[in-house]
Amino acid sequence: MTAANPTVEARPLSGRSWRRWTQRHGWTVGIWILLVVLVVWYSTLIPRFGGFQFSTIINGGTAWIFLAAAQAVVVIAGGLDLGVGGLLVLTSATAAQFMDGQPFAISIVLAVVILIGAAILNGFVGWIVTVSRVPDIVVTLGSLFIYQGLALMMLPKVGGGSSDGFRWLFTGSATGIGTNPWPAIVMITVPIAVAARWMGRTPSGLSLYAVGSDETAAFLSGVNAARVKIVSYAVGGAFVAMAGFSTLAIAGVGNATTEGSSLTLNSVAAIVLGGVLFTGGVGSLIAVVPAALILFFFNPILSALGVNPNQAQVIQGILIVFVMMVASLIEWRRRRRS
Amino acid sequence: MTTSQQPLLSTAGIAKSYGPVIALTSVDLSVAPGEIHALLGANGAGKSTLVKILASVFDADVGSVTINGAAVNLKGPGEATEAGIATVFQDPALIPDLSLDQNLTISGLRHSDVVPWLERMQLADLDFGLLVRDIPLASLRLVDLARALAHDPQLLMLDEITAALTPEQADRVFDVMREWKSMNRSVLFISHRLGEVLRICDVATILRNGRDVAHLDLSGIDEAELVTAMLGEELARGSKAGSPDAAPSRQTLSDKDRGVVLAAKDLHFRGRINGVSFELRRGEILGVTALEGQGQNELFALLSGDHRPTSGEIEINGERLSAYSPYKAIRKGLVLVPGSRHDALLPQRSIRENLATPLYNRIGRWFSLVADESERVDGAVARLNIDTRAASQVRRLSGGNQQKVTIGRWLVSDFEVLLCFDPTRGIDIQTKAQIYELLKELARDGAAVLMYSSELREIPLVCDRVLVMYDGSIVHEQSAATATEEILLTAAHGLESAPA
Repeated sequence: MTAANPTVEARPLSGRSWRRWTQRHGWTVGIWILLVVLVVWYSTLIPRFGGFQFSTIINGGTAWIFLAAAQAVVVIAGGLDLGVGGLLVLTSATAAQFMDGQPFAISIVLAVVILIGAAILNGFVGWIVTVSRVPDIVVTLGSLFIYQGLALMMLPKVGGGSSDGFRWLFTGSATGIGTNPWPAIVMITVPIAVAARWMGRTPSGLSLYAVGSDETAAFLSGVNAARVKIVSYAVGGAFVAMAGFSTLAIAGVGNATTEGSSLTLNSVAAIVLGGVLFTGGVGSLIAVVPAALILFFFNPILSALGVNPNQAQVIQGILIVFVMMVASLIEWRRRRRS
Repeated sequence: MTTSQQPLLSTAGIAKSYGPVIALTSVDLSVAPGEIHALLGANGAGKSTLVKILASVFDADVGSVTINGAAVNLKGPGEATEAGIATVFQDPALIPDLSLDQNLTISGLRHSDVVPWLERMQLADLDFGLLVRDIPLASLRLVDLARALAHDPQLLMLDEITAALTPEQADRVFDVMREWKSMNRSVLFISHRLGEVLRICDVATILRNGRDVAHLDLSGIDEAELVTAMLGEELARGSKAGSPDAAPSRQTLSDKDRGVVLAAKDLHFRGRINGVSFELRRGEILGVTALEGQGQNELFALLSGDHRPTSGEIEINGERLSAYSPYKAIRKGLVLVPGSRHDALLPQRSIRENLATPLYNRIGRWFSLVADESERVDGAVARLNIDTRAASQVRRLSGGNQQKVTIGRWLVSDFEVLLCFDPTRGIDIQTKAQIYELLKELARDGAAVLMYSSELREIPLVCDRVLVMYDGSIVHEQSAATATEEILLTAAHGLESAPA
């Protein structure tokens, strides 16, 4: 056949692959740049910006990052987990109860046990979602209350504690307040990087995207969709446990009266800002990290600007919607052009 | 084919029902090594259900599957692939939000596993970094096939793979099937195009109403005999109405009623459509045909108000279509039956609701629907001969019945011009004949129909006049009655055609 072949695609050119790279990763890069800009701006707003201020942001942001990562994993696989806030309270209360007065080595063993326990518990929630076919939003609303209630049964009053070494791991100091951000940075980077690579490169990790993107097509490709969903909730549970540990390390004591529901909503806001689509199948942990930090960072910035806390909430809400509007405008223009 | 050797795959008494709808009553199928085996039957005969049972997408209610003499009980498509059965399903099994490379990773394959096959299908330079959602359907079907082949299956099952392919692409698929056969592997092939079935397949199993009614050796059989076997004696005689011998009825309207109702004037659209003009008259069925991706999708999107042309005008009854939206177009009487039925139907709602949807659009009827709603809906159901056994949810209907509902929606409301994009794709021969009849009847009643078809042979069956598109322009126009497949195919390739 001598006629032009209608289905051969244009060959990849360097300009083309650059455009594709910016399409795929533009959001991630943009959100990191936004974070850096905000940090630089903040440093000019306050009289002194040094190691202490920096590590305060990192340490305080750790729990937000892990909680957002947990939500991101579940949403990418096509689910939704409203229970993450409750599980955070439960894991930190459990850790506080058992680690109190224990040496460092024991506290680490306990942390590993609690982390695995949280993964199994939340994996069980995922199993109920897949088996019962009750919508995830309903099941995890239930798990939110259950987790919170269990935490209060475990630790009715503020109390318990952890070891000095354990606190150092998440805050760079035995007292939870210090100038050394590095332990927290490592504690964040390693698990997130491992998870991001797993999700982007391996068959089991890519299956999360597959199930979230098109469950039928994933099933026809030989992916065990039910198992993948359960795994996503279990990995989410493990990330939540990390968030719970960080919360405990900063406070030094466990507090089961913290409202898990508002923590859940923070995680939802963070993944939205991080470019994870609620329809599933799209998003990256690498973009969720700065998004969570930016959300955590709103309050210090607004208080440095002298905005009163009630107005600050309004501004925060407007900013989230505004950023998303800009993003969908960019996406819409891109689609129109292509 | 002799039965002396052990079959590669055989089934006994397979049955399956979905709630009240019985898909398969009892099917015995036997595929020998080294044969290309056609699975034929009208839509709703149970072909896709059988394929999905063999691929272990569903379990059969009753019956057994035997592979190489051993009874198997597979759990899921993954295990079926491991057992040596790879399938290209009717619905694409590639994940839209992932790149092709990532899709291969999920199946445990590497790029190098599929490249040899893609080369044979002339797709070797396909960019594997692209997201699946950005790749044309035809290429995806071929990638799906290459992926199935890379699993090195004993049995390859192809469910309607050629429906979305151009004739040359289909030829490449046939070459691969022949090669597979020469390696003493087998292919189970499903297609509505009987010509290609006769060309490529050795034997056929014919399903009717969920049973295997005939097992045929295809050498020395012609299309008419196949049709008879598929439909049963009586129905086959009925479907002759849709055969080439029956001259399309037309020109029953007087000349003054045959005014121009739709006119496209020098339409351009972002380099995909380059100066398309035509006129469509009342009572006329105008066919459009083209190879994949020659601007036909964009043309229909423009006419239905989905896109705004870069330049040029669309006129309905001499009135310029000014604002471009499907809402505007529909209010002017320009209605679309899209290529994908999923785009038109509300899958979870009932047949009645789907049929009545266009009526919801009427201003001034906020509290009560059009007074004669139920009469109109009943009329459409009867006229279209829709099988209403699964009336409560449209998604449970067979493809042919879904398509009837898609067209029926516009019968219930009123329209001037019916735009049909490949209305018979993937539909059985009997329903096809019904749809042809319906379109002709509408035209007789004074409607204008613009129909794109990828199946060249249906153009003379239905249309009065035909346009051939190539590279965003109309390159050929002629009366449909004299349009042979050869002329149309030549024109569709952008080649000089013999004077018609």
